[in-house]
Amino acid sequence: MAPIIEFKNITKRFGGTVALNNVSFSVEEGEVHCLCGENGAGKSTLINLCGGVFAPTEGEIWVGGQPEQINSIRKSERLGFSIVHQEIPLCLNMSIAHNIFLGSKEAVKGVFLDEKHMNEKTRELLEMFHLNVEPTALLESLSIAEQSVVQIAKAVYFRPKILILDEPTAALTNDQREVMFTVVRKLVKEQRTTVLYVSHRLEEVMDLGDRLTVFKDGQFVTTKKVSEVSMDDIVTLMVGREIDKSEWGKSFATGEELLSVKGLGCGKKFHDINFSLKKGEIVGLAGFVGAGRTEVLSAIFGADRPDSGEIFIKGEKVTIRSPRDAIRHRISMIPENRRDDGLITSMSIKENAQVAVMDRISDKGMLNKKKSVELMEQMIENYGIKIGSMDDGVLTLSGGNQQKVVIAKWIGNDPEILLCDEPTRGIDVGAKSEVYSILRDIAKEGIGILMVSSELPELLALCDRILVMHEGRLTGEISREEASEELIMKYAAAI
Amino acid sequence: MNTKKNKLTNAREFGVFLVLVIIMIIMSITSPVFLKTANLVNIVRQTVEIGIMAIGMTYLIIAGELDLSVGSLFATCAMFGGLLFKNQMFPPTIVFFLVLICGLALGCVNGLLVTRMGIPSFIVTLGTMKIYRSFAYAIGNGQSISQFPESATGSWVWKLGAKVGNIPVQIFVMLILFVVAHVLLKKTTYGYKVYATGGNDRAAHLSGINIKNTRLAAFAMMGFLCGIAALISTAYLNTVTTTSGEGREMDAIAAVILGGAALSGGRGTILGTFLGAIIMATVKNGMVLLNVPVFWQDGFIGIVVIIAVLIDTLFHRKDAKR
Repeated sequence: MAPIIEFKNITKRFGGTVALNNVSFSVEEGEVHCLCGENGAGKSTLINLCGGVFAPTEGEIWVGGQPEQINSIRKSERLGFSIVHQEIPLCLNMSIAHNIFLGSKEAVKGVFLDEKHMNEKTRELLEMFHLNVEPTALLESLSIAEQSVVQIAKAVYFRPKILILDEPTAALTNDQREVMFTVVRKLVKEQRTTVLYVSHRLEEVMDLGDRLTVFKDGQFVTTKKVSEVSMDDIVTLMVGREIDKSEWGKSFATGEELLSVKGLGCGKKFHDINFSLKKGEIVGLAGFVGAGRTEVLSAIFGADRPDSGEIFIKGEKVTIRSPRDAIRHRISMIPENRRDDGLITSMSIKENAQVAVMDRISDKGMLNKKKSVELMEQMIENYGIKIGSMDDGVLTLSGGNQQKVVIAKWIGNDPEILLCDEPTRGIDVGAKSEVYSILRDIAKEGIGILMVSSELPELLALCDRILVMHEGRLTGEISREEASEELIMKYAAAI
Repeated sequence: MNTKKNKLTNAREFGVFLVLVIIMIIMSITSPVFLKTANLVNIVRQTVEIGIMAIGMTYLIIAGELDLSVGSLFATCAMFGGLLFKNQMFPPTIVFFLVLICGLALGCVNGLLVTRMGIPSFIVTLGTMKIYRSFAYAIGNGQSISQFPESATGSWVWKLGAKVGNIPVQIFVMLILFVVAHVLLKKTTYGYKVYATGGNDRAAHLSGINIKNTRLAAFAMMGFLCGIAALISTAYLNTVTTTSGEGREMDAIAAVILGGAALSGGRGTILGTFLGAIIMATVKNGMVLLNVPVFWQDGFIGIVVIIAVLIDTLFHRKDAKR
């Protein structure tokens, strides 16, 4: 039988950048086929080709044994594709039910909306995904994790022939992830749905996948059966080299105290937070999403105003009313949400990297092009950012490289204290290890780092100390020696 | 790959430039007078008022804001200046600066209401559009002011409405303002902040940019420029009327949009706005030369705005998808 999707010599160029280079492989009906590769390896481009977002420069896509021109999103849907994107393309101002049935014929009866039908079906769907909310609830009242689930539920509801999931679990809790896996397995088993699955979490690939295809720098590397490879094999295939972990676990902390927080509280978000950060120390902030970790960082950075408590920098009490104040006190923050808070998408790579360091590229308010280009070249070299031209739009970069631009921007500010919120969210294994190296390098230079992360292995590998939060309170402090995933989870759940 | 050509067509000003060239070709074929120096100078002269206001509007639109009050603000400045010139309470030089301060102050009111009270600029300036118009009426008691005394018309301020050789002074003023505005936008940290603020104000705020003051400065500049435009108009026309500047806000916005700016913010250039303002004046001029009834002017400008933006969209569709 012909494979359900066959990619034949696909090449996709964007201007001078080659996103996919002569890629050929096929996907069988009813399998879970995982796509692995670092950011910029070409996975998202491949998915967008299936989705009709853009057409291949060269090559053909065969669906169900026939060559198909997937030149529009509608065409892609007609061929049976359904795609769950990384970003959530839903309307926040509308109810869950209306989002699920957006654009569907099922939503109407005659000329009127069929609210009853929509709500009933949505309720069934939400129950299937163990989501305890009303179908009429507005999407904006849901957490990001719940919104992701709604997006997945929507894709599943219309029983696609081919379901494409692009980093679906990035925002999900472990329970939600398990539920989603159950649903996906059921679809595959009962309806022979084909699943294309993209995830940076290799455990998920091992858990869910039948076969996997690895990409590197826009090229096809190999297709393997999941049962025949180990996680280390996949990493090696993806990165093309072994990751050096020998340096991890060494501490650069010195005795000098940089930052100290006493009794910090902010409304219902968090209360009575006490901790300190030393020069060269990396302190992790663990806990579940919603425990108040991001809020603590925001308060220290002046993006939120705390209503009680004190902040000391090098023993001196400071008042930080705005990010500008924070920057004056040489605090930098790498925000959690790259797209919304980190980048200015209408601007170029260079403009984004330098928006927080205007002083370094100007004389008395006049921009100095030479300084700016030099600084950018330095940033590109120091942080290994892969770009075509520094004047290209920042969105032409892969997620990992976008993140490096954000990091370069903030370290370019010459901070003494660096706050980072999920610094490796949504980026691949290779880029992650590069980010870890960057963070360790700057700790070595004596910068204190306070890092929020939901990835426990990352906290264990990097942090000298880990603080754990539960519902707005600090519930534990763990030293590097005693740290383990179990212990963090215990404090995070406040057991 | 022909990168030079790509660079040209990729320039944000390309669409508007193309439209301008097409209009000029059509006009030079259909009207023998069009390409005469006197007519071309006249076109640029007619650009001055909208052009100067459109400079300020460019900054505001790039910063993600809008000012609907400029026509009324212009009228208030003109009436305020007219009254002071007429009653000779102060020497013309002082009046000149008082008018600029008046513009600056009214612009700041807009800016403060938007940035400190957090009211959307559309609503604030819709309100002040009405309020400032009332100011203009109140200052003149509903009447126009003209027949200015010798002390005013003989002063240097009135040179703004005069000519050097065959070229009106106001053209030089406008060109200087465009050059300064271009440099400020492209070569200074302030311009960088304006683009960043309009592109993503959250990210700009977290990057340590004072987005409130960046926007406030743009509103203030807008008011200041209205003051300059009002002084030029007063000197040129020798009269100020309570209804002057009506509808100018939309002309200024149209010029900026013609120039390739995005109403969503973060995008736009001074060069584009300049070309946009020139197109508006060329179209108006062309209609007169071709004896097209006056009531078709606005309609035709409307068509030009839509076509220019359409060209821009077609050329940049790929960008939008990425």
